[in-house]
Amino acid sequence: MVYGAWICLLSPLVAACAITLGGTRQSRRAAGYLATASCFVAFAGAVAAFIGLLGRQGGDRQIISTAWTWITGGSYQSGLQILIDPLSVFMMLVVSGVGALIVWYSIGYMDGDDEERRYFAYMALFVFSMLLLVQAGNLLLLLAGWGMVGLSSYLLIGYWHERPSAVAAAKKAFVMNAIGDATMALAFFLLIQKGNSLEFGILGGQFSSTVANLVALGLLGGAVAKSAQIPLHTWLPDAMEGPTPVSALIHAATMVTAGVYLIVRTHAIFEQAPKIADLAAGLGALTLLVAGLIALVQVDIKRVIAYSTMSQIGYMFVGAGVGSYPNAMFHLMTHAFFKALLFMAAGIVIHALVNEQDIRKMGGLRQLAPKTYWAFLIGSLALVGIFPFAGFFSKDSILAAAMAHGGWYGYLLWAAGLIGTLLTGLYTFRLFFIVWWGEPSAFVREHFHPLRRDVVGISLAIPVGVLAVLSVVGGWIQFSPWWHPVETWLQTVAEPLVSPESWQEWLSIALSLLLGLSGIAVAWSIYGAKRLAVPRIAWAQRTLEHKFWFDEAYDAVFYEPAVFFANLLRRGIEEPIISDSGRDLGDDTRDLGGLVARAQTGLVRTYVLAIASSVAVLAVVFVIVK
Amino acid sequence: MTALLGPEISWYLAVSGFLFATGALGVLLRRNPLIVLLSLEIMLNGGNLALIGFSRNLGDGGGQIFALAVMAVAASEVVVGLGLVVALNRKRVTLDVDRLNTLRG
Amino acid sequence: MTTLLICLPLAAALIVWVLPMNPVSAGSLALLAALAEVGVWIQLLVRYDFAQGGLQFSDRHTWFSDLNVSYHVGVYGFSVWLVGLTVVVMAATIAYGFWAGRERLRAYMGLMLFLNGAIVGVFVAQDLLLFYAFFEAMLIPLYVLVGVWGGPGRMGATLKFILYTMAGSLLMLASIVVYGLSQHTFDLTQIGESSSQWIFLGFVAAFAIKAPLFPLHGWLPDAYRESSPEVAAVLSGVVSKAAAYGFLRIAVAKFPGPAHDFRAPILALAAVGLIYGSLLAFRAPDLRGVIAYSSLAQMGLITMGVFAVNDLGLDGSVLQMVNHGLVSATLFLLAGMVERRTLTGELGRLGGMARGRPALATVLLTTGVIALAVPLSSAFAGEFLILAGVFQRGWGWAVAGAVAIVLAAMYVLRLVSAVLHRDVGPAVSDSALDLRPAELGVTVPLLACLLALSVWPAAITQHSFRGDHGAADVAAQFK
Repeated sequence: MVYGAWICLLSPLVAACAITLGGTRQSRRAAGYLATASCFVAFAGAVAAFIGLLGRQGGDRQIISTAWTWITGGSYQSGLQILIDPLSVFMMLVVSGVGALIVWYSIGYMDGDDEERRYFAYMALFVFSMLLLVQAGNLLLLLAGWGMVGLSSYLLIGYWHERPSAVAAAKKAFVMNAIGDATMALAFFLLIQKGNSLEFGILGGQFSSTVANLVALGLLGGAVAKSAQIPLHTWLPDAMEGPTPVSALIHAATMVTAGVYLIVRTHAIFEQAPKIADLAAGLGALTLLVAGLIALVQVDIKRVIAYSTMSQIGYMFVGAGVGSYPNAMFHLMTHAFFKALLFMAAGIVIHALVNEQDIRKMGGLRQLAPKTYWAFLIGSLALVGIFPFAGFFSKDSILAAAMAHGGWYGYLLWAAGLIGTLLTGLYTFRLFFIVWWGEPSAFVREHFHPLRRDVVGISLAIPVGVLAVLSVVGGWIQFSPWWHPVETWLQTVAEPLVSPESWQEWLSIALSLLLGLSGIAVAWSIYGAKRLAVPRIAWAQRTLEHKFWFDEAYDAVFYEPAVFFANLLRRGIEEPIISDSGRDLGDDTRDLGGLVARAQTGLVRTYVLAIASSVAVLAVVFVIVK
Repeated sequence: MTALLGPEISWYLAVSGFLFATGALGVLLRRNPLIVLLSLEIMLNGGNLALIGFSRNLGDGGGQIFALAVMAVAASEVVVGLGLVVALNRKRVTLDVDRLNTLRG
Repeated sequence: MTTLLICLPLAAALIVWVLPMNPVSAGSLALLAALAEVGVWIQLLVRYDFAQGGLQFSDRHTWFSDLNVSYHVGVYGFSVWLVGLTVVVMAATIAYGFWAGRERLRAYMGLMLFLNGAIVGVFVAQDLLLFYAFFEAMLIPLYVLVGVWGGPGRMGATLKFILYTMAGSLLMLASIVVYGLSQHTFDLTQIGESSSQWIFLGFVAAFAIKAPLFPLHGWLPDAYRESSPEVAAVLSGVVSKAAAYGFLRIAVAKFPGPAHDFRAPILALAAVGLIYGSLLAFRAPDLRGVIAYSSLAQMGLITMGVFAVNDLGLDGSVLQMVNHGLVSATLFLLAGMVERRTLTGELGRLGGMARGRPALATVLLTTGVIALAVPLSSAFAGEFLILAGVFQRGWGWAVAGAVAIVLAAMYVLRLVSAVLHRDVGPAVSDSALDLRPAELGVTVPLLACLLALSVWPAAITQHSFRGDHGAADVAAQFK
């Protein structure tokens, strides 16, 4: 089982190195196969670890395997160690499983691209980094995986580096993630000062409330940056510049969910800092509303799905913030299924329409791509949380947990979640009806070409099919009121803080279903049957289109001042120091020399006077001293 | 040694000091380089007198020998100095120490 | 063996200068000597007993007995790593200089070998006057290398460099003389601690100019811009570490009281340098400028680690010295390779070089990513340790470091994108080929060292100082 976990971690890394070193000697397709195979091997390793853990009793399910000591500083040390416990195995299965499917899909999607090998090397690197993150046995290694995931994301978003917009988006993503890295590092410094260790265990130790709050805040900063929650969310929509499988894997299924994983993994410290946990839930709720609103006006197919990701992660943050850890993780898993499905189906559409992503040019694709239509429908229904699809089971239990959290705050979160459900139904089916229903648009009639029936076609079709099936049945693993194996599985790692009453569960289920269906109905009447018109409120439209002016605000507050300040420093301090210091040194030396030279008058009289007076002074001094 | 004849040492020193002072004043206050050289000689001789006086007083012959050395040095220095003054005169340069300052820094 | 490490390159320098030989033979001999030096170092590394620590392989011969000055050389745990950094970087730069074909190669190679010996001497000298002699000896070849083989503005750059460094060195000489005479010995292993602030400041001034520390960095941008790429690599990668070594071996170890009293101002200057350097690197218009200012920032970080004077800070600073030396040398060599192809270093005229040049893109991207200390790299390990150590002296310093983490991401990614991504720049033509095997042969070993360190940073951090974990008594290390 330990071997299984190590193989799971290292197999994608081996593939990445092999592809990098192989260079042009290997064919592009071979690189794709290698990367995909390594991910499937990783999945096999994860399954082996899972089976191994199943064989053990509840309390015994925590194994730490150390390779060697990675870093030391006096008495502090951290090892290169992986942790095999229910939570990490859960994430390993999701990451390697969904990852393998998406990398397989990429073989078809990226076919024909000039630099496929580079792409697959980066994808393998990403899968390795994400597995490192979830398998890390201590906080330092988790931060290492965290940073590497950010790096892979930069490399993949900027994959088409001839495009300035892609390069800029990649840099933005990395820098915002770096802000999160910095806050996490500060939290770690505090932990080292207080506990001299970064093992997961010390989070359970006793800390003063200030220390606990600061550590939790630092961790939350990292989580917020990685999961694109407000206020560090502006990088995610821009990240859609990358290829669609990248959006599916990194910006839907795995990397952006790392923040949720972090909170669940370090829940011990969040429980000591309840205000910060509440803050996490609050940010999640805010994000899910804001993202849902913005998604209503987006015209790029991928951006709608991106904002929907932001919104769904908001739900997970609400779940983790109120202490319903197993439910947050369950929603993470189902979300991975249906969101990756949606992205991949969208990818098929984009491919079929010669890389067009503007939904205003689409329409009536239902007849032209029927299987993709059904996949997209399944994904959309799962997203809105309609019974019996996956999202239904996971989302509603989070709402119930919010209600069980109690107090006005819990009800506020609950209400926000419900409104979010309405919005989800609205924007998801707005997208669905615009793209798939109606008559085929002029653009579609001109450019549409169907999928090929070869390796490329298979690699695009089968993963989508598998995920569609999972989106249908995947949710049945847990139905909170009646059976909850996920919760039991994760209980030893993260005991949930709240257990909602039955009536809370059923009420949330009923309301959420109702609101979801109403959202779908409204979307149908506007975009499907075209009975109503979209209300035109200019200022609202503009605000939503400008994404609540966050980008402009950040530009004004951070980027422009940084540039201004740097230029100011250069002109005001640096240039004087460099240029003037050299010149001044020379001038001053010359002036000093000139000053001294004035003693040389050239007149004998002066010199004699000098000698005479010095002798006189010396004589007096000697006489006195004697 | 038998009893010393002549004035006491203080008289010699007084004359020596007087000569030295006169010479010093001459070096400082006169403008003609020849006079400056002359005053320099007077200073040297004042010093010589002091040396000889002490030599006689303390019975040490070294003072007189040193006085002879001083005279030798004075002679060589006068040769150089006079040579410079004669050269200056030949070049029709004003013989005024206050105006000879080409060696200024 | 320590004396061999110093004398081997010096002897090779003499041979190259004196014997008449054509440039190819001179270059080959120099390269051979540099590689032999690396071999000797590997032997030293293998035979050094890290479990015991302390001064080993020491060699002592009396020089002036009445003043108690001797020729005393030897290595500690951390100096083994610094000597290793020197010989590896020098081998790479000599190889590159040979391949790039500098004019008057015999003189050039002789000077580089002499520089090699002088720098190794600085790291192994255990006598104050000997240390000073080697410290000054570093300047002689650098003066000629920058002044003769440099770019158009080289005379001004050299003059500034020499003036600044000499000013510091004179202050250090005064300190050395007073210190040695008052203690009646110049031997660093025997000399006692002192609490004199003036002597401390004399040393600090010299090292602060050499490192450099803000605001004494006026010589830095021009010197790094005008020298040939390999000389810039040596300056930034190795010579600056001599200053950090001086801070550690002399300033902090022998003056614990003044080091404690002046800790806040020095940490402040280092922190300012860190942020200032990062900001200026972010807006620098040319390749060399970015690397130069990032060097200023990193030296600020390393100085912070040294003056934190605790286990975390010291281990981190030694690791970071090695890391930054390797990274900076590789970056300058890469900058030289790009400049060779495009005849300019201006970022505005570069761009799109990744197309069709996978080797260049991979090497530059990997180096850049390590330079910005991506977590899991050795640079991250060093930075993390330093900031964790400095945090214990005041949370404000660590916050400055955290800001610098973000700034580093910004300026490195800007550099990488400006060279590799977006549209092909006006200075880039199709004749600018991908990295040749020789260029790969120079940069890939440096990268391999960095990657190996990334996998096992504890190689350095666990093997630098004596094994008394928990002991923050630096002076005790050197007894």
